[in-house]
Amino acid sequence: MIGAPTSETTAPVRAARRLSFRARIVLFLAILGPGIITASADNDVGGITVYSQAGAQFGYPILWTLIPITIALVVVQEMAARMGAVTGKGLAGLIRENFGVRWTFFVMIAFVGSNIFTTAAEFAGVATASDIFRPNSHYITVPIVAIGVFFMVLRLNRKITERIFLGASAIYFTYVISGFKAHPHWHDVWRGFLIPTVQGNAGYLWMIIALIGTTISPWMCFYIQAAIVEKGIRARDYALSRIDVIFGCLVTDFMSFFMILCTAATIFVSNVGSAHPITITVAADAARALAPLAGDFAQFLFAFGILNAGIFTASILPLSTAYFVCEAGGFESGVDHRFSQAPVFFSLYAAVIAIGATMVMLFPTEQLLKLINFSQILSGVLLPFLLIFMLILSNKTSLMGIHRNSRLFNGIAVVTAVVVGAITLLSVYQTVTNPS
Amino acid sequence: MPFHDGYLSEIIGRTVIVDGERTTTVGRIADFVVDEPGEHFPKVSGVVVKTRDGKRLSPIADVVDVDRDGRFVVGRAPTTAIAPDDQALYLIEDLFDKQIVDVHGRKVVRINDIEIAQTGGALRVVAADIGLSGLLRRMGVGRIAPGLVERTPRTLIAWDNVAPLEDMNPAEIRLEVEENRLARLHPSELAAIISDLSAADAARIVRSLDDETAADALEHLDADTQRSILEDLGTARAADIIEEMDADDAADLLGDLPEEQQAELFAEMEPETAVELRGLVAYEDDTAGGLMTTDYVWIYPHRTIGATIAKIREIGPESEFVYYLYVTDHDKTLLGVLSLRTLLLRSPDTPIREVMETEIVSVSPLTPAEDVAGVIAQYDILACPVVDEQNRMLGIVTVDDAIDAIIPEKVKNRLPRFTQRHRRLTT
Repeated sequence: MIGAPTSETTAPVRAARRLSFRARIVLFLAILGPGIITASADNDVGGITVYSQAGAQFGYPILWTLIPITIALVVVQEMAARMGAVTGKGLAGLIRENFGVRWTFFVMIAFVGSNIFTTAAEFAGVATASDIFRPNSHYITVPIVAIGVFFMVLRLNRKITERIFLGASAIYFTYVISGFKAHPHWHDVWRGFLIPTVQGNAGYLWMIIALIGTTISPWMCFYIQAAIVEKGIRARDYALSRIDVIFGCLVTDFMSFFMILCTAATIFVSNVGSAHPITITVAADAARALAPLAGDFAQFLFAFGILNAGIFTASILPLSTAYFVCEAGGFESGVDHRFSQAPVFFSLYAAVIAIGATMVMLFPTEQLLKLINFSQILSGVLLPFLLIFMLILSNKTSLMGIHRNSRLFNGIAVVTAVVVGAITLLSVYQTVTNPS
Repeated sequence: MPFHDGYLSEIIGRTVIVDGERTTTVGRIADFVVDEPGEHFPKVSGVVVKTRDGKRLSPIADVVDVDRDGRFVVGRAPTTAIAPDDQALYLIEDLFDKQIVDVHGRKVVRINDIEIAQTGGALRVVAADIGLSGLLRRMGVGRIAPGLVERTPRTLIAWDNVAPLEDMNPAEIRLEVEENRLARLHPSELAAIISDLSAADAARIVRSLDDETAADALEHLDADTQRSILEDLGTARAADIIEEMDADDAADLLGDLPEEQQAELFAEMEPETAVELRGLVAYEDDTAGGLMTTDYVWIYPHRTIGATIAKIREIGPESEFVYYLYVTDHDKTLLGVLSLRTLLLRSPDTPIREVMETEIVSVSPLTPAEDVAGVIAQYDILACPVVDEQNRMLGIVTVDDAIDAIIPEKVKNRLPRFTQRHRRLTT
């Protein structure tokens, strides 16, 4: 009954270290993917909104928070990826096998619910960004995107889908260009990034909470683990996969850095002393605000970035929902299958996309924002539980063998879990008591 | 041991007491152990009892009784502690929520619950619950709304569909049959399990099935088991199930019952079905009348082939036997026979009258079973119509029922179980 720790893993890793540099690069490029994709998808429409707000309201001095946020992101992602590689099972499956039906059901309700609304939020991003290019064009673009992302996953195999996702991750680079176009004051940028400063007001605190909340979300834990498992990455390849994960988190927050920069250099600067400060409610507001301050090109580039993020995550989020339910129920799942081989998986994927897109077509933006708030409550309630589950699982010798958390890692992970857990609960409290 | 059957999710947590000292609780049931998981229906070898001093193992032989409150009574208090590297399969710890994969390694579903039952002289693992009702039970819905769990259809996989387990902590459970064959436990397999159970437990299992499935399962059972199950079910439910059975099987079953019980059952049935079955029951078992079924497809001679096919589709005949279509007039006088082959091959606008076979072999309801089988064998037909003196259709005897009637009971019992299963897989 007690499983032997998987010890078959050490020798091949050593073998991998003996490979030539060239061979290692090739192997890395083969393994690369899940980490970068998941981290990039983390900068979804909601993420872009929050980063733009942060830059617009607090300017460069808020940049330093990206450092601890990146560490937290790495810790959580690495744990999920490692569990996927070592156990060969998705997170939902591990939760069901180790914590039983009731916990799985609880997690599923919160997760599926929040994912549906978050998917709607991604489609809302697609809609507002597309309206910047051409007013009211979203009545066409949203259905096209919905159908497009469905058939992409249904028709194309995992390899090609992954390359498309990697391409979408690369498009985030537009924010770097936008950042430079905004002509920031580099001296202040570095000061703000390297010297932590804390403001004592509530607005600042809530902003930090929002930043962490948008960066660490339940779906990414499920997605990265499922992607690692489906890609067939196993414990012996994990050393390289870990680089993918860490590199992905760094690149993602590099993009986030420039998102903050864009609005900090323009909107924040123009807001100082202004009688009519510009406020950002949705990501597209930031794009619009850029036009008079940094030119039409910056506006369109920013909007294009939102469009890309929306399309990208309108596929990733429904995918992670489908992975979750299938793993929990034990149904076949995976992008590589045909519809007939994994009918539940593809049906769920289609259903989440359809519901998300339909909500955007039917509801006005204000109502949608309320729904999205509600989804943040669900995911905020879920996250602390999820982090506890992940900590317990990744410390189980019977599951992880020699790959279980080290003491140092556990120290960082527990602190991360406690801080993130407390912060998300705080933000849930704030959203519940002050729904705006 | 008077423990019959149950779901592990409902058994764990039950109190364990020692025989003779019924007031003191030893502990609660935490799990069940199987020593040889490779068997078709693995024997349960022990019970894990959670005591105040930790988990203890009680050999299954020590369990002497399960009392009215569901408490497990053991002969002596369990003392064996469980070694951490114990080489045994723990049903709940090692099997609950595990992934089931098909013969190709594709994921099918997870195990929601496990059913154990007293069968074949031991307490055994008989089935894995993979359905919604199992999930509801696991979530404890049964305590809040027992009716909901009861009403949800059960989906079980008989444990002998599972490949023998070699690993004591299996990462996944592999099946030996194709997934699409597994939609539900097949009635013949269900019957095999039921026939090993005591009448009261068998009745309990049958009671939990819907009428149609229960009827299918009953058809596969021997007469004695059928009778005792029906008695336990009560007249109303028994009548519902009999109505769903094939007419000839139903008649056989009713024919074996005392007249008084027959009358009670007939009274509970739809009048139409009752009349039909009464007619069949009147005949002796070993005659054409006793063997025949009234479920056959009859058609009119003046219709065209196309219209006939349309009509058959429209009414969707209940009869499983559609290979011959019997052509009759309004009086049910037999005019001819049409094979399914003719129906398919001839052009749709041909009238039935022109293509039907008019040289018909038929038997009287009093013809002995052997002679009916002889006629079927001699003329190479799949079924033989049974008619009265005025040549009016009464029913048909199909080739399988004719064979059943003439093969000695002993030979039938000798057929190994896997032969039955093989037949199911290839049809």
